[in-house]
Amino acid sequence: MRSTTSNVVDVEKAQYSDPPLLILASLASGPKHGHAMIEDVFFLCGTRLGPGTLYGAIARLEQQQLIEPLAPEERRQPYRITADGVRVLRAKLNTLYKFSKVGLERLSTL
Amino acid sequence: MKLAFVRFLLRLYPAVWRERYGSEFSELLESEEVRFSTLADVIRSAISERISPTVGATMNQQTYPLRVVLKQPAAFLPLAMSLGALTVVVATATIFGIRRQPDEGTPAHLWQLLMAGQLPLLLFFVIQWWVRAPRQTIYVLALQAGAFVLAAAPVFFLHL
Repeated sequence: MRSTTSNVVDVEKAQYSDPPLLILASLASGPKHGHAMIEDVFFLCGTRLGPGTLYGAIARLEQQQLIEPLAPEERRQPYRITADGVRVLRAKLNTLYKFSKVGLERLSTL
Repeated sequence: MKLAFVRFLLRLYPAVWRERYGSEFSELLESEEVRFSTLADVIRSAISERISPTVGATMNQQTYPLRVVLKQPAAFLPLAMSLGALTVVVATATIFGIRRQPDEGTPAHLWQLLMAGQLPLLLFFVIQWWVRAPRQTIYVLALQAGAFVLAAAPVFFLHL
């Protein structure tokens, strides 16, 4: 008989995973290096980004000029969000806000 | 993680990526514990970076659309040879019926030449394109493998 446990959603473990958005949101509170971003994202939403995922997203965000590197601190490289990054983050969060607002309203009618 | 292991993991990434992010990435890895999830994440990311490089890390690297790679003789000739071999099999079976040729006649030799002759071309194609366009190379190889199997299957399944 097939187990159905894998189909059960564990609400407490449900994590939001959109690394570029999480990084932009993390940098919105000020410049950070990789390790600080991982900790901040974990604090924000409980998602622990792996180092490969983090740097994959950092490289693409930097390419899109949504973040930029600052002067290195020894071997650590801090990044900050750019004006374009702020604009993109605001647009994405607004969309998410509308989405979650409507979604929660629909849930309240159930 | 130990430095030697971090260096090993870094080598999984393309050289241009390492040049840009290697120092800060290795600093981050050194502070991480060795865990399966971390290793899987780094290996997955490195493979992804090899297949689809971050454009920012490879600004000087030219990108090749699949159709450009497919137009290379070493890419389309093996496909054409496989389809030619398949045509030989179908034509022979249509004319003479599905039966084994005891004397290994002209169609059989032609089929063997077409199938074996594409192997050096395949090797040349991989050497020429693997570094320049790995993802497109994989797609073309998949097409070539499909055509090869298509041409070989009737011979083996029908015992021709």
